[in-house]
Amino acid sequence: MATLTPTGKRIRIGATLLGLLLLIVTTLFGTDDDFPAAPFRMYSTTDELDAPVRSLRLEGVTVEGERIVLKDSDTGLRRAEIEGQQARIKADPALLDAVAEAYHERNPSKPRLREVDVVVRLIELRDGRPTGEQQDTTTVRREIS
Amino acid sequence: MIDRWFFSPVALGRIAIVRTIAYLFVPIDVFLITPWALAHRNVPVELYQPLRIARLLALPSPTHTIVVGLCVALVGCALAAATGRAPRVLGTLVAVLYLAWMIVAMSYGKVDHDRVGYLVLLAVLPTVGPARWGDRTPSERAGWAIKATAIAVVCTYFLAAWAKFRFGGIDWLTGATYTKAVLRRGTIFSDWTVHVPYLLVLAQIGTIVFELASPVLLFLRGRWQTWAVLFLFGFHAMVYAGLTIAFWPHLVALAALLPLERTGAWLRERRWLSRRGDPVPPGAART
Repeated sequence: MATLTPTGKRIRIGATLLGLLLLIVTTLFGTDDDFPAAPFRMYSTTDELDAPVRSLRLEGVTVEGERIVLKDSDTGLRRAEIEGQQARIKADPALLDAVAEAYHERNPSKPRLREVDVVVRLIELRDGRPTGEQQDTTTVRREIS
Repeated sequence: MIDRWFFSPVALGRIAIVRTIAYLFVPIDVFLITPWALAHRNVPVELYQPLRIARLLALPSPTHTIVVGLCVALVGCALAAATGRAPRVLGTLVAVLYLAWMIVAMSYGKVDHDRVGYLVLLAVLPTVGPARWGDRTPSERAGWAIKATAIAVVCTYFLAAWAKFRFGGIDWLTGATYTKAVLRRGTIFSDWTVHVPYLLVLAQIGTIVFELASPVLLFLRGRWQTWAVLFLFGFHAMVYAGLTIAFWPHLVALAALLPLERTGAWLRERRWLSRRGDPVPPGAART
């Protein structure tokens, strides 16, 4: 049997309680900014079955005039990350230059982009199923120099 | 009493097995499960949104060089640590580097919540010191490491229920969260559920009940605890079948609560392994 010294035990109990306190306090008052602590909000929002679903995507226009959807693997940014930075991008559309830069770096052989757009699609729901009606709005448009 | 609960001894052999699993999981996570973290290397730092912890520690912005360097260091240390050598030094390095890796992963506008248990496991593993496969010596250090991981795992469930009430309100119970999840990510195993009235609402109530009951896990012993952990694996298997979502790092932490050190004996009892540990050849008597 390998035992611990009283000091070793006190340190461990203290560390446990401190960690626990941190998790509880951040669950009560924290935000995602407090990662790796709480709040653990997986599927924590309440959804209504008749409210429209918002779905956001990035689109680009190449110098050849072709409009393409920029997938996560095209830019190295996840869709949810763009959603999380929506407000910031709206306030400062120049951030989309950085998105174009990431695209160019990851796709050096493809035509360059001359425009990057944030497009929001509202999908109408009734009783939780799509009614077939949807509406796309370009919320931010950025010419890339 | 508190002393007995915090430090109820666990065989060192368990720690050795858990180390191998936890450290080999690092490259799997980096390259297969969370590959978008490495994809951040191409993203200009203007889009980096440092988390509070990164600001407090004044961590540098993740340039291409930093992200690639961090990745190489993390995977290298994890592979070295998986051999079981220098458990304190290598284990501490892996814990620190993995946390840094996660800060890079989560600092671009989206945070995932499936890895507190795993982060705690990585943090406590080095504190146990040397441990060899098959070592049955009961150890209080090992006991605490497993208990701390168990507490983090239980917090993930219990505090997730709390977060649902904080952000979703009591209406979460009867809302359409699961319906929407199935409509978005449903599979052949789950698509039918949206057509059965109240089934997914019942599932939501069931989820909250088991999340709020999860602290029981901390007070179960032996066989009962193993059954409880297997129940949790069952829950995650169901979520994976229905929504193709799995919280892989969390599952690694959960596995640490199983009596892994007894796997060999268990297999021998059922004669799936011979006494020396070699697999029994097919066709050999299994009476």
